[in-house]
Amino acid sequence: MTTPLGLGVLAGAILSGTSLLYATLGETIVERAGIVNLGLEGIMLIGASVGFAVTVASGNAWLGLAAAGAAGGLANLLFGWLVVARRANQLASGLAMMFFGFGLSALVGAPYVGAVITGLPKWRPAWLASLPWVPGSTLFNYDILTWLAVPVAVLVWWALFRTRWGLGVRATGESPAAAFASGRNPAVLQFQALAAGGVLGGLAGAHLSLSLTLTWAEYMTAGRGFIAIALVIFSKWNPLRAIAGALLFGGAEALQLQLQARGADVSPFLLEMFPYLLTLLVLLAWGGARRLAAPASLGRTFYGSQ
Amino acid sequence: MKKRLGSITLSALALCLAARPAWADTPRLVIGAVYVGGVNDYGYNRSFHDALTQVARDVPGVKLLEAENVPESGEAERVMESMIQRGAKLIFPTSFGYQDSARKAAKRHADVCFEYAGDGDATRNFGVFFGSTQAAWYPMGVAAGKMTHSNKLGFVIGLPIGYALGNVNAFELGARSVNPRAQTIVVVTGGWSDKAKEAGAANALLDQGCDVVGMHVDSPATIIQTVEARGAMSIGFQSLEARALAPRGWITGLGFTWTPFFTQIANSVIAGRFRGAAVYQGLGQMVAVAPFGASVPADVQKLVNAAATKVAQGFNPFTGPLKNNLGGMVLPPGASVGADQMGDMNWYVEGVVGKVR
Repeated sequence: MTTPLGLGVLAGAILSGTSLLYATLGETIVERAGIVNLGLEGIMLIGASVGFAVTVASGNAWLGLAAAGAAGGLANLLFGWLVVARRANQLASGLAMMFFGFGLSALVGAPYVGAVITGLPKWRPAWLASLPWVPGSTLFNYDILTWLAVPVAVLVWWALFRTRWGLGVRATGESPAAAFASGRNPAVLQFQALAAGGVLGGLAGAHLSLSLTLTWAEYMTAGRGFIAIALVIFSKWNPLRAIAGALLFGGAEALQLQLQARGADVSPFLLEMFPYLLTLLVLLAWGGARRLAAPASLGRTFYGSQ
Repeated sequence: MKKRLGSITLSALALCLAARPAWADTPRLVIGAVYVGGVNDYGYNRSFHDALTQVARDVPGVKLLEAENVPESGEAERVMESMIQRGAKLIFPTSFGYQDSARKAAKRHADVCFEYAGDGDATRNFGVFFGSTQAAWYPMGVAAGKMTHSNKLGFVIGLPIGYALGNVNAFELGARSVNPRAQTIVVVTGGWSDKAKEAGAANALLDQGCDVVGMHVDSPATIIQTVEARGAMSIGFQSLEARALAPRGWITGLGFTWTPFFTQIANSVIAGRFRGAAVYQGLGQMVAVAPFGASVPADVQKLVNAAATKVAQGFNPFTGPLKNNLGGMVLPPGASVGADQMGDMNWYVEGVVGKVR
């Protein structure tokens, strides 16, 4: 039995969109606090390899998941020490973090290459399994990260836009001086945002190694961290729009694989470029419009307002 | 080209530390093996590691030095140099991208023999070898053609290079020899090790109704496990050990069996008779059929074994008349494509669903 193209793409979009969404949400929090972390790719890799290593060593994927989140958070705090405490250049530090992530994840993961894990358990509720086409597809057969992806996006939105903490984070991103003047500590808020964002980035990596592929391979993120950074712009720094963005980009990757499997008369090389073309188009379309702009102090170092 | 970062310094360090004490009983031959990945990848690197471990066990007085995750850069040359300093007289650079490093080291050390897994010219102390897998996929196709219920076979490849197309084509030819309705659907991921895309590619093929999936990527682990989780069947590649990943859906697979060739090379170096040559061997020599899965009926096993024997005895599936999947005649009656011309293959045989470029 064949799954219709739309359902196949949707199923693939959800699977590859999950890690994109967590990574995008993490970067959104961080950028809302005024910090660009170009090292997201490295954070994801650290999450993927630490999560896999702990899962193999302990035999428990839940421990692996927790370790991945913790490792991502710690890595982002290290980045925070550079750019917030030491006031280093964010772009240069971000790239350094990325390469640090490449190396560290390779080192941590090397002894575990080829290890076999059972991975995060998946559930498919019985009433969903009776829908047409569902049993023969991956639809609704998800691990906890996929099931919770949308709720987490809503939670992040709520935290950023409906809590005092979120107001402080956003104020820091717009104008750290104003946030400081209103009695907030921009540095503390930025560290908190970085920790939360790092945890989400680590979980994004863990979804790749502990659920989607059940393996660790060097540089297995293959650019997904950078797509997530583009998705933050695509979603206009809004966690709810990020859901649509992650689905769209996950769908672009799924579409090129699904079209090939359908024997579509398109060059595989052309299909290969599709997600990246989409990225370029989105940046082009969004670029320039001031009302879609980034947090006003994004990427700027706050030297205090004494 | 594969890029490997990190961890090499550690493995080199471990190698230095591990090598020391064993010098007490001076070995007759020290072999150095350089791997591009980890040796537990259920794939390419493991095939070399298993074979060389076997040689070290079988041939008296052989000692093995190994370095994993060595990037295909100047780093590889440094690793080989350090192995030579530790007494290695035979070096196996096992990845295609080590060619330049290995040739440079071979020029500097005329007394050290090299066996490079790739292609190019052989010299006195520089041998070239590889397993020809293309024709060996023919019996895999026979297995898939007999086992499929949907008549749709899936094949995931990293990049549409000639060697990969040859694997796909022989697979389809084998399948159609026992099941004229069998189609092979190809999905290209765009890299030899993009794991998430490999999972997506396998899912896309299964969504399309494929019930048997084969692959040509670095490590078959992700694809085999994705296919297994969805209750379909798989045919493995690179290492004979991959069957452990699919207790239910494993049919069979191809793996590299380098041991006999490596043993012969090790003995020739010990005897001082080594002369570099280009050696390409296929099924029955450097390539072997993996054990069958429990679900494969005896009559299918018999057919597959018969096809494997036929290939081992010289049967070339790429013999005309053959049409490509666009309807054009690519091989007129009598013409054939030999194992040494696989790199140039740029068409899919009739029955394959896919576009080369």
